[in-house]
Amino acid sequence: MGRTSTGLLAGVAGALLLSALATAQDQAPRSPWKYYPEDARANVGPGGPAPARDLTGTWAGESSGAGVKPLIRAESPPPLTPLGKQLFDRNKAQGDILIADSNDPHLRYCDPFGFPRNMNDQIRAMTISTVRDRTFVLIAFQTIWREIWTDGRALPANVGGRGRDAHDPTYNGYSVGRWQDDYTFVVETTGMDPDTWATEGGYPHSVEARVTERFNRTSKNDLALTTIMDDPKLYTRPVKLGEIYFRWIPSQTFFSTTCIPSQLQRYLKEMADPAGKPAAAR
Amino acid sequence: MKPKILMMVFLVAGCAAIETPSLAHHGGAAFDMSAPVMLKNAVVTEFFWINPHPLIKADYKDEQGNVQHWTMELGGVVGAQLVGWSRTTLQPGDVVTLYVWKAKTGAMVGRFNKVDFADGTTMRDSQRGADDGGRADTGVRQ
Repeated sequence: MGRTSTGLLAGVAGALLLSALATAQDQAPRSPWKYYPEDARANVGPGGPAPARDLTGTWAGESSGAGVKPLIRAESPPPLTPLGKQLFDRNKAQGDILIADSNDPHLRYCDPFGFPRNMNDQIRAMTISTVRDRTFVLIAFQTIWREIWTDGRALPANVGGRGRDAHDPTYNGYSVGRWQDDYTFVVETTGMDPDTWATEGGYPHSVEARVTERFNRTSKNDLALTTIMDDPKLYTRPVKLGEIYFRWIPSQTFFSTTCIPSQLQRYLKEMADPAGKPAAAR
Repeated sequence: MKPKILMMVFLVAGCAAIETPSLAHHGGAAFDMSAPVMLKNAVVTEFFWINPHPLIKADYKDEQGNVQHWTMELGGVVGAQLVGWSRTTLQPGDVVTLYVWKAKTGAMVGRFNKVDFADGTTMRDSQRGADDGGRADTGVRQ
């Protein structure tokens, strides 16, 4: 028997053996503490009608392995005012440039994304939970939560200004929400800290920016989020920040990921900067 | 069952694809994507399971007997987990053959491509694990 034939037989035998081992692995008990993307992918179809006025649960988003429909990114190029272009040009987003040359505060320091970026960047999973007067969005990446008031209050009028009635900008801004119909939850947010970026690509925003999110649940398993930002100081018209799709996770569990500043500093020192800066590499 | 064996099964049998992550992160601009550098019989000194990217640190003895200290990054932690990696996939002392897209700066750092284990199995990077430097997660399930 020639080498080729022997090799083929060995390969087939090996594949059969490994296949048997894989079958055994597939039948191993599932841990409730782990996320199994194949289980999420196997949960096909609508799963039933959407419950009325209910977004609660854990949802898989982009890059979760759950077979979610690809997201639609923010419109590009952004319709910027001259001031908006100035701020946009200042933001050196990693992508076409190296991490070593980026000034993205998250990439360099583990700074929180802030809103709205935390709803369009690394939004692999989120949990929505509701109490009497608020809805919480618990974002898996960075284990950060947003608070959306549903008690009918108005957004604060004076954020970032001077005076005793002024409110401080925050990384997540100030959010209020209401049901537009039984399956569409509309959230309005303003007062986001202008040091944060609206997107991974470095779209700027002012503290006066107003972001409108529409969470539309079309079935038990399907949730779509569309986001528009209105910021006349920096944009000539409202800018679409994209459309993101989510799928219900049967196990209601996902990976936990957190950027740890000390780990990031080591990564930059030992990997990213030597890869990007010849001086650091010497 | 070692994840690396499971990975080999999936590569042989072929499985349902996962969606292609649409993140714009971490392209190949910093690395020479023309051909990976092969580090045969490298010794893992550390496997640092961190965000934004796990790091593999390994010592490689070149043909002249000089020991090179390499650092390479995997795709992000979640992406790595989706293609079968965990914090224990590599451990200090493991003797493996590493393939890395070397940094254009000339430093001994780079983007991980794949690793061949002593038992004949292979594990790849989520984003740069294909032989041409493309994604390797298509056709792979956890």
